[in-house]
Parts: sequence; structure tokens; C-alpha cells
Amino acid sequence: MNRKQPVFDYLNCVSCGICAQACPVSVLGMRKEGKSGKYRNVFPEFVREGCIGCGQCARSCPMEVISMEEIAP
Amino acid sequence: MTSFTGKILCVDLSARSFETKAVPPEVYEAVLAGKGLEAWYLYTHIPAGADPLGPENILAFAAGALCGTGAFLTGRWTVACKSPLTGGWGDANCGGLFAPAIKQCGYDAIFISGVSETPVYLFCDGRTVEIRDAENYWGLDATEAERALHADLDGVCRKKPCVAVIGPSGEKLSLISGICNEGGRIAARSGVGAVMGSKKLKAVVLAGARPFPCHDAEAVKALSKELGRKLLKMTLPTGLGVFIGAGGAMLGHLPYVPLDGSMTAYMFREWGTQANTSLAITSGDGPIRNWGGTPRDVRRMADVYNPEHINKIETAKYHCYSCPLGCGGKLNIRGRKYVEYDETHKPEYETIEAFGPLLMNWSLDSIYQLNEYLNRAGLDTISAGNTVAWAIECFEHGILTKEQTDGLELHWGDTEAILTLVRKMVAREGFGDAIADGVKRASEKFGGKEYAMHIGGQEPGMHDARNDPQLGVHFVAEPAPGKHTVGMGIEYGAMSLCDICSWAPPATMHGKDKDLEDSERMAYITKANACYTMLVDGAGGCYYGQMMGVHMWKLVDYLNAAEGWDYDGDHYMEIGERIQTLRQLFNVRQGVDPASFKLPKRMLGEPPLPSGPLKGVTLSQHREQVSSHWRAFGWDDQTGVPLPETVRRLGIDKLTEVEI
Repeated sequence: MNRKQPVFDYLNCVSCGICAQACPVSVLGMRKEGKSGKYRNVFPEFVREGCIGCGQCARSCPMEVISMEEIAP
Repeated sequence: MTSFTGKILCVDLSARSFETKAVPPEVYEAVLAGKGLEAWYLYTHIPAGADPLGPENILAFAAGALCGTGAFLTGRWTVACKSPLTGGWGDANCGGLFAPAIKQCGYDAIFISGVSETPVYLFCDGRTVEIRDAENYWGLDATEAERALHADLDGVCRKKPCVAVIGPSGEKLSLISGICNEGGRIAARSGVGAVMGSKKLKAVVLAGARPFPCHDAEAVKALSKELGRKLLKMTLPTGLGVFIGAGGAMLGHLPYVPLDGSMTAYMFREWGTQANTSLAITSGDGPIRNWGGTPRDVRRMADVYNPEHINKIETAKYHCYSCPLGCGGKLNIRGRKYVEYDETHKPEYETIEAFGPLLMNWSLDSIYQLNEYLNRAGLDTISAGNTVAWAIECFEHGILTKEQTDGLELHWGDTEAILTLVRKMVAREGFGDAIADGVKRASEKFGGKEYAMHIGGQEPGMHDARNDPQLGVHFVAEPAPGKHTVGMGIEYGAMSLCDICSWAPPATMHGKDKDLEDSERMAYITKANACYTMLVDGAGGCYYGQMMGVHMWKLVDYLNAAEGWDYDGDHYMEIGERIQTLRQLFNVRQGVDPASFKLPKRMLGEPPLPSGPLKGVTLSQHREQVSSHWRAFGWDDQTGVPLPETVRRLGIDKLTEVEI
């Protein structure tokens, strides 16, 4: 099992959603509930389990704010 | 490699068959994808005289060239067909996730012909294509149907499906109905929903996960990163919206309007398109009382439609695919007067204007209700608002009586009556049924043609040509007449097209009086604006990216990086010119006379308004401006028919001989 998962730098995320649509298994979505910041109040996040660690989201991100990092088993 | 998949899906609902076809590279070189690909395919495949609601009409869904490449603001999907509303070219576009979903199924576009005998939906996951039974979804509103499809397909598809769906208005063939996605976000214009309804096609469901092709993805992403970094710094302090109305009043009395593309970013990030409402009410841009009123008739209404009121109940912003602006939002509307829903999308400016000042309606709460109700029904709020305005004015003048309106008394600002009439339009019940096909047909049945605001059968968007005469040219010269998203003087200067196109005249100010005059310079301004818009539509771009200007949203650089081309702006503007000319040729083939598209007298300033920013304005040289616009395009300046030498110059003669 691949144990790499995306980690997001939210401060520089522009919330464009390209990463979520790039995810081939739709485990990544754009969180819409609640205002957490004035402008960037929609962020990518895991909406369900099943990340396959493919890195499509990181490769697709124009702002280069997604890194694939090892997670604890 | 380019950004095109090179393939289209062609579905015949009558035969319940489908075929994947390869599109030659020269077609993409000539018209890109999106609306350009649709213009080429529909022109070459819909026979002259085809019934818009019959099997020969083709309903197209297309993603733009740049969709999926990493280019920002390229998430628009375009629907096109022969319009049942105008009898000619019809198109509408919308944001959301449906555009990338088309490409992730491995196609640039989907073309649907034929008519099914029973309700069906089209399913594609990039490996299989199926025409499935949709009896269970027929009759549901657009949002209910989308949710039901998601629930039924949960766990079946690896990728979460994207759904384009019609509501009851499309099913009932209302000629002002559209196609929805993402919970009621609607591609509303041209009657595209009725065409989908006529095919008994409830929905198109896409769940592909194929990779997006692109020539140089890193170069595209670098351009986006540059734009994204700028946008992250472009924020406004909270609360400035209260001053917009006063700013509009000032602008309304200035002879020139200063322009800057960055304003689009600031305002849309803070408020969305609602930022324009109070400005439009006071500046003369927005129509009041069926285009016959002035700001004096609605004193203090700018306070009612102040965008800060809307921001206060916004629970979350949202973005279309690949958009760093995020002009959309969700509102908590639970418990508000007239409201039967818990939440709605932030109503767009067009919707607020069409059901607010246009009808002298002072209730913002009622607009939340109408917004959600009409989005779910799949009815175009621009056309519906114009139609209700006509009905009220006819009733006020005694042209319509209570007997004809099923006992309904229609008066300006009567919120309850407006809500009731709209319900009857959606249900196609009684008087509502009689006017559910738009204002042209309603006035043909009941009279009151002088109050019927339409251009070639389609109701105009909520911007006044008396305030922006260039818009008046686009309203009538556009093959899908009445659309407000083709060009405006107020936006031309902000785009700085002269910096990418050698023949586009420079303009940094929108001069209202100057724009009233017919001139060659003005003709090339409107031509450049229309060509660039067509280019943007071929690329799948957003109009608000376009409004930010060529120095912020670098379309030419994006296209060169994504396609591996090395063309200059002039070459790309010619692609836009080709797309526009193809659409005009479509109309000519379908027997639509371009010269028959005319501004309503009221919008020409006949008679002129008695007060306000537009006091005394008449568009006396409008017809000459349209002729000059046609001439600049190389179309006959009297008939609007593209000249044979223009067709040859643009290579359309050879392009239309390409067979697939």
C-alpha cells in the first residue's frame, strides 16, 4: 500500500479546484462549509477514504502548493 | 501533443447508437474547441430548415481548448444547437465541473442528435457509453435529479459523476429554458433546455478519469502561478459595498468611464457579480421598470440590493473548475420571507436586476426564492424577468385583463403576484403557459409588442444600450442576439486588446457620447471585442478572465504553451473572426435574416428617457454602427451576410468540406 498522501500549503492555495478534479478516484473535494478566511474559504480536502497516492493532484497544481509526503502507517 | 483529445462523441437517440469520431488537426487549428468546434460541426451537420425541436437538431456539449491544461479560468462548458427561441444559432455556457468531465471521458465535445421515445440519460465513464432509462428522474427538478443520479451511481463509478440536467421547464419545452449542473447552475440562454427536453434527454452523466492532454503543462502552470500570486494580494476591506450605489451615481453623470481590468478581480473576489447591482441601478446601466424607468423611480433601491446584504448570509464561497477568483457563493436563506428553501446559490447580477429593478420589486428575499426556484426549474431568469415585466406593463396599460391572467392582478412591485406568475410559467398552467415561451411569442398572442423587449426573439441581458452603445451593436450583430456577454464598451478598454492585436484600436476610457457616433474606429472596436470573445469561447475561458485584460489573463501565451504553437495575437483574433463568421453563416443557412435583429425602440431611446443619467439619449446612429460592424467583418453591410471573399480569406470554404 502506498503511504504517500498530498499535503497542502493553504496559505498560497487559490482554491481553483484543479487538484480535486484531477483526482482519479474522487477522494479529494473542495470543502464548502463555513468561512475560515475572507477569500480563500474553500480548500481542497479529503472527502472520503481511498487515496491511492498517485500524485495527480500535486502534479496538476499550478500554484505548486501540494506536496506528496509519507504518512505514518 | 496539443491540448485536444482529437475525438468527439456522436450520439443518435433515435437509433440509440453512438460513434466516436476523430477530428482532423486542421479543424482545431482553425476554430480551436469549445464554441468553435461546435460552430464547425453544427454548420456542417444541421440541415437547412431543421426543426429546432425535432430529430435533425443537434445538441452539443463542448469543453474549451485550454480546459484541463492548468490554465486558470478555463472551466466553462458550452452548449450549442439551433435555437428554438430565435430559429438560428443558439448557445449558452456555464461554469462548474462539467467541462473537465467532458475531456476526462476522452472527448472534446459530445454531439447528440435524434429524439428518444422515452426519457433517457446519457452515461459515459471514458470506457463505456450507454443510453439509460430516465423514467425515475423525469419530473424531478434539476437539483433533485442531479442528487438522485449521484445517489444511484454512488459506489458504481470510481470517479464522482458530473451531471448536466434539465428541470421541468426543459421537459415542458419552454423556449426560455436552460441546462443545469452543480445544483442549479444554469447554461440558460437560447432555449437549449427545450432542445434537450425535445430529445427526451433528462441528463448527461460523465464519470471519466482520463488524463488531460497538453503540450507544455509546466509552461501553462507557470503562467497560472504568475496570475495566482497577483490575485492572492488583491483583496478589499470588508464593507465597501455600501458605497457602490453612490459610485454608480457619479459614474452615471461622467462623460467617460475609466476602466481597469484589475477591478474585475477585486470586485468579483469580494462580492461576485452582485457587485454590479447597486452600481447598475444608479448609473443607468441596469434597466428599470421594463427598460422604461429611471433611477428616480427607484430611489434608495441601491441600498436594498447592496451586495453587503448578500455577503452577510453567505456561508461559503465557491469556484468553478480552474478559477482562482471564486465569484460564486452559497447563501443560508432559511426562514426568510417568501422562501421555501434552506439555501441557494448567490443570485447573479442578471437575476437580481431582472426580478428587482426591472419589475420595481423591492424584496431581496423574494429574489432568493426566485433564484433557487428558477434554477431548479431550469428557466432562464433573464428571459423570464423580461417576460414578467412585459406582462405587468401590459396589465397596467389595460392590454391584459384579469380574465386573461387567470384573475391575477399584475402591478409593478407586487412581489406576491410576481411569485405566483413565475410558478404558473414553470408549471405551464393557464396564463403562465401562454407566456412560458418568452416575450416575443407572448406579445404575438396578446399584443403589447411595444413593451416586448427582445432582439430577434431573445430577451436582452440586463445592460442598457443607451448607457453603452457598443453593447447595442453586439445585441443585434451577434448571431445569438440579445446576449450581453459578447462585448461592451465598458469592458473593451479594460481588456487592452490593442496590445495583442495590430488592428484593434486602443481605448482606455469608455466615452459614452463618442460611442454614440458611427465611425470606422468604433466598428473595429466592436469587431475586435466580438472576435476576442469567440476566441475565449473556443478556449473555454471565462468572460471574467477576459475582462481582467490581456496583461493579467494571458490567453495568447496560454494557447501557445498548451498547443505547442507560436502564433501571435493577430492569428488568434482571426480564429475568433472565423468562429463568428461560421455562426453567422449558420444563421444564413437556416433562413434567419441578420438584418431582422433590431433593438426595441425603447432601448434605442425612442422616446428618450426624461431624467437620470440616460436623459435624452437616443441611439440615432445605431443602424449605421451595425452596418459598419458588418463591413469590418467582411460581411455585406446591408444584409449582414458574410461575403464570398471573406469566407475564402478565412478558409471556411475548405474547412466546411472536411468530413469526419
